[in-house]
Amino acid sequence: METQLEKVLSDIVTQQDTVGALLANRQGLCLGAKGDINPNVSGIGMAISDQVAALEPKSAVSTQPEARHPTICLYSGNRRCVIQRNGEITGIIYKQHTAAPASD
Amino acid sequence: MSDDIKKYFNGLLEKVSGLHVIQITDRDGVPLLRVSQEKNVDFALMPSFIPTFTTACDQASKLGLGRNKTIISMYSNYQVVQMNKLPLILTFVGSENCNTGHILALEHQVDGYLEDIKQAVTE
Repeated sequence: METQLEKVLSDIVTQQDTVGALLANRQGLCLGAKGDINPNVSGIGMAISDQVAALEPKSAVSTQPEARHPTICLYSGNRRCVIQRNGEITGIIYKQHTAAPASD
Repeated sequence: MSDDIKKYFNGLLEKVSGLHVIQITDRDGVPLLRVSQEKNVDFALMPSFIPTFTTACDQASKLGLGRNKTIISMYSNYQVVQMNKLPLILTFVGSENCNTGHILALEHQVDGYLEDIKQAVTE
């Protein structure tokens, strides 16, 4: 049943620098997670998305979904967390910056 | 100490949008702490409400999936999330579109604050 969802998550996790990804439904419950990410962050990720959307209330009436819920990027050390909402689905991606090998 | 705990739970109530009530009771439904917004959701204090959860929890634990920890009940206007933290029962009442995942994520955060109440109940 969730084969398609698993495939999408696998595709995301195989991207460069990506260490984990999860998808949450409109209630903030985890639909699926792959890689190094705690499924419990689904609710908090969605709450952050809602709070950030409230920063710009005028965007709430926009017809463009990406304007209603902006993409959020949280930086922490060498990791970053990207949160994007599309309709009822929220995606949370963890990325880790890997230092490029030093060239002589 | 009690004021600190109440303040903390009031803070949680504000953090989770759509959350109306947080209630801590013992397993018989005796209220120990209750923080709520203005919205009237007194059904959470009905005498049969918590004991029914305790019974449901005990029955759910017999399903062979391990000890039941949480029961989420969705209604047309409300959602109720109840957590089994024996000897305490933690009840969250929110609107139907409240962020359930966020409420569930609070489970481990509140543990430290529940310890004092747990001790008071067991003594």
